[in-house]
Amino acid sequence: MSAQTQLVASFRTDEECAEAIELLNREHIQDFRAFSPIMSVPIIEASRAAHQASKSYVRFWVLFGGITGVLTAIAVTIGTSWEWNLNAGGRPIASIPPYIIIMFELMILIGGLSGVTGFFFHSRMPVFEPDPAYRTRFGADHFGLVLRCDEALASKMDSLLREAGAEEIVREAA
Amino acid sequence: MSPNQPASLGAAAAKPISEPVQLNWQRMNVIGGLLVIIGILGFIAGLATGNTQRVWLTWLVCWLFFMSIAQGGVIVSVAFYLVQGRWAGSLQYKLAQSFWLFLPLGVILFAGVAIGRDYIFPWIAHPAKDKEGWLNAPFLISRDWIAIIILTFMSWLMVRWSRQPQAIAWQRDSHTIEMPPRGLRRLSPAVGIVYCIVFSLLAFDLIMSLSPQWRSTLFGWWFFETAFWVSIAAMALGLVLMARILPPGNSFTVPELRHDCGKMVFAFSIFWIYLSFAQYIVIWYGDIPVETFFILVRFWHHPWMFMSWLSVFFIWVIPFFFLMGVRPKKSLLILGGVAVLGLIGVWDLYYIMIVPSLSPNYLPFGWVELCILAGFLGAFLLTSVPGLKLVAEEAIVLGPSVYQTHGFIGEDV
Repeated sequence: MSAQTQLVASFRTDEECAEAIELLNREHIQDFRAFSPIMSVPIIEASRAAHQASKSYVRFWVLFGGITGVLTAIAVTIGTSWEWNLNAGGRPIASIPPYIIIMFELMILIGGLSGVTGFFFHSRMPVFEPDPAYRTRFGADHFGLVLRCDEALASKMDSLLREAGAEEIVREAA
Repeated sequence: MSPNQPASLGAAAAKPISEPVQLNWQRMNVIGGLLVIIGILGFIAGLATGNTQRVWLTWLVCWLFFMSIAQGGVIVSVAFYLVQGRWAGSLQYKLAQSFWLFLPLGVILFAGVAIGRDYIFPWIAHPAKDKEGWLNAPFLISRDWIAIIILTFMSWLMVRWSRQPQAIAWQRDSHTIEMPPRGLRRLSPAVGIVYCIVFSLLAFDLIMSLSPQWRSTLFGWWFFETAFWVSIAAMALGLVLMARILPPGNSFTVPELRHDCGKMVFAFSIFWIYLSFAQYIVIWYGDIPVETFFILVRFWHHPWMFMSWLSVFFIWVIPFFFLMGVRPKKSLLILGGVAVLGLIGVWDLYYIMIVPSLSPNYLPFGWVELCILAGFLGAFLLTSVPGLKLVAEEAIVLGPSVYQTHGFIGEDV
């Protein structure tokens, strides 16, 4: 196996960065990370296409949390009513209409919390140590693209990134 | 008929898009005319056979139903202005306002409510104690009539200004952050507020007052939200039909347009059940007989139980489960089917809100109701033709390019 190298490219605009991702994708290079100071739709779309990203798994976390919330609410409301066995206003001990509100609220609450947890989990957040390839300008006025490739391919990738408009490219040991 | 004019809308669909298409709306006019004749004959026969109360109650139901679609559509366009929605350019505004011409006709048809008042309002024969000041026929008829005249005038102004070149240019230019033209910017919130007041008044006067002892402070809100939703359902149906009827390559063939419309049907259906439940839970908690009887008669007693639950099923259950995903919203069949059932559901809802107040133990539904409904439907079709014509022409001319994305990432809702 040949040695791996890391290229850190900076771009002035997100369009250039997105174009570089598209060019890399055409060369079947998917091992890259992009840094952007703003939420850039072109970069996200290009990254999604390159990684052939499917729908997020976070939705299943939300579904699971929502169902858990409803079941918890059913257990809490009906369970406590039966436990205390108090008759209020001649209504049934377990009166469903008001419990629907609790069921709805707990569905939203636990579904939401579960979704946020799923989001953190799949995003591998929080990040306590910044990525070694990160440069402070990627949080200010530049867009960054960091990719790994074989040493032998580095020159080709270098020219490809420059073709897309890279302003500066730094080679580092991977 | 000109030589370029196809024999039917179906024939028009076969013509290449590059040729100027002149759709033949004659068929819709003929169908509308026939339905009106059926309605008039049914109306006369109903009165002649002694079904006077059924005639006037159905008149009220149909009047409210078609006024809701026509007025709700204008309010949907008001909402578009308020949120500056321009994802489908001027097409979405024209579609929302395509039914507006029924409003002036509705002002005239309100005469039916005035004429049949003795058969509609029980408090005329048996005055409601302590409410005579508000519930008296001359005052009620005149205030409601004035209210709908004002709202119709404002709606007319809204439609007229929306069709001016300056407004159309703004509607089509979604890549700027420009505000709508000044007149529309000021008129839109005013129409929205007047709509809320007038439709609340209509709900209290023409529906709630039929059971004078019953009250629900949320009823007005609930009613104008229902009218808003039914117009969205009518828009969805219009969109689906035009996608099928118009030549290939028309704007409505863009799946994202149907997706957007489906989202509105879905979202406001949930809001409808939210408001319905909000009313129900307060009545349930209070458990006061003068409030609970209204619900009990409709949802727990025969013969009304089935029709009442059916309306909930058609307005909320079906849209909620069938339009939850992206693909069903984009499907012509599913979106169209949900819209048709939604329209039936709302007519059914208005029927069960009104008729059981005067006929709690008997369900009067038969040829009289169907004929009157046919007559109103015919009149509605006839008045919708000019608006739909504009929509069709625009959808053909603009084509799929009408849909304007704003660089947002693909939505999964």
